[in-house]
Amino acid sequence: MVPVEWYLLLAAGVFCIGLFGVLTRRNALYFLMSVELMMNAANINFVAFALYYGDLTGQVFSLFVIALAAAEVAIGIGIILVMYRNFGVTDVTVPTEMRW
Amino acid sequence: MVNVLPPVTALLPVLLLGVTGLALLLVDTVSPDARSNTSMAVVSALGALASLAATVWFVVSGTGSVDTGGAITLFADAIEVDTMALFFTAIFASVTSLVVVAAHDYFHDHANPAAFYSLLMFAATGMALLAVANSLAVVFVALEMVSLPSYVLVAFLKQNRGSVEAGLKYFLVGALSSAIFLFGISLVYAATGSLLFGDVAEAVGSIDSLAGVTGIGIVMIVGGVAFKTASVPFHFWAPEAYEGAPAPASAFLSSASKAAGFVVAFQLFTEAFPVGASLAADINWVFAFGILAAVTMTLGNFAAAVQEEVKRMLAYSSIGHAGYALIGVAALSQDGGANGAVMGAAMAHLLVYGFMNTGAFLFVAMAERWGVGRTFEDYAGLARRAPVASTAMAVFMFSLAGLPPFAGFFSKYFLFMGAIDNGFLWLAGVGAVNSVVSLYYYSRVVKALFLDDPATPSALDALDVRPTALYAAVVFAAVATVLLLPGFGPVIETAQAAASALF
Repeated sequence: MVPVEWYLLLAAGVFCIGLFGVLTRRNALYFLMSVELMMNAANINFVAFALYYGDLTGQVFSLFVIALAAAEVAIGIGIILVMYRNFGVTDVTVPTEMRW
Repeated sequence: MVNVLPPVTALLPVLLLGVTGLALLLVDTVSPDARSNTSMAVVSALGALASLAATVWFVVSGTGSVDTGGAITLFADAIEVDTMALFFTAIFASVTSLVVVAAHDYFHDHANPAAFYSLLMFAATGMALLAVANSLAVVFVALEMVSLPSYVLVAFLKQNRGSVEAGLKYFLVGALSSAIFLFGISLVYAATGSLLFGDVAEAVGSIDSLAGVTGIGIVMIVGGVAFKTASVPFHFWAPEAYEGAPAPASAFLSSASKAAGFVVAFQLFTEAFPVGASLAADINWVFAFGILAAVTMTLGNFAAAVQEEVKRMLAYSSIGHAGYALIGVAALSQDGGANGAVMGAAMAHLLVYGFMNTGAFLFVAMAERWGVGRTFEDYAGLARRAPVASTAMAVFMFSLAGLPPFAGFFSKYFLFMGAIDNGFLWLAGVGAVNSVVSLYYYSRVVKALFLDDPATPSALDALDVRPTALYAAVVFAAVATVLLLPGFGPVIETAQAAASALF
């Protein structure tokens, strides 16, 4: 069996790829994909450690997380759609009606 | 009187909010009369008030308090109803009822206000669920249940570029911080093998090899809490979201949603990561919260002082108040005798803040309804045509600033005294200096309303519109702010008893 520490490293790697995408990509759709990667990194931890501890909580919770991530994407797509209708772009740096 | 009712009835306040949200969808299906949102406002106000009444009844009868056999746990310990949870549910229900009444006038000509009301009720349900959560899984699900409707509430005016931009920014920061929060939970699960607060606390106390992983997990969880409470370093969304959102939604987010973030923080950092066990594992989150509290209140207050728009000033002031309330977790110590006192004072501050801040944002909603501008100059002379509402706004401003005869003074006083008793003189000092700064920009609003002359004599003609429900909500919030003055004794006693039960 693969030692459980490797899963931690894998999850951290996936999380960092997602975080990098969030910080560098300007397209809102890439942003959604990157956030999805970050959440799935957490799912890897949950599933791996559920097996390690012989406890189902982590596995069940990862199913919850998948459902919530889908809901979040649905809301996100809706907001990106109204942004596209109002501003004509999907670049998150374009809307600057208000100053930071 | 020990548990004459089945335990699940302890969830009555939460269930009432959720059922009201569903009932609103039903009302909208039965009578989709887009032009009249009166039925929506009535149903949601009744639901929120029923939830508030149930909460107050539970608090008075001692449900889940130490005197009646301790907290009531449900669903294999994943849910725990205690006095702190009920106290916060009372805040959520009061703010919700004020906001739904005000929204009746604000959305008078909106095409489909039903969505606003039901989303608001579902977000309130999520907040009440956050308050009773006793497992990290429930915390995350409830947190998303608050966040997802909130994004839509902010972007609700979908033809308005400001509202859409605000919703987008809120969503971007929110999605990022909830992913970080989730990864933090997964690391804590990896290190401790459980998601229940009690089991996590036990495992943190005796942790050996994975203390580093737990530490990183806790830091990430602090990040999620900082987003929800609009504290540094995840405060960037707040000024944008509050300024761009429809004003009733800003009122809801800056009062109720912030309190929801704090109830998570208070429960997590007493039950899941208690001070003693965390310090034993070399995880000093008290210090981290101390820095965050000081930076948050300083940044919020100084940024508020240079704003030209009233709504944006209120947004920064709400960041400042998040800093004050953070003292409730930042001033805890391992054997501190005043732990319960300082956390209880933070709870009482959030209750008072719930009324005064909601009222202030609803006054802004009324100004938007009148169509007067957004800056301080545009508010000049409003008191001549709207003396009652302007007096109410003056009460909110002085109470937010913490001037002595108002309820905001007492909650801050107890908060700072608690911090000093626990040996955090520096935090109380930073808080006091910031309160002085805040007096400057709060009194600017009062000066504009009462002393300044309007730019043109016709500028006040817009005030011929009389939004009755908005008026009622603003006046009621002002009355509550004033009544909390004689009523502050029972409030602070309940809050401090509720907080002490957790240590």
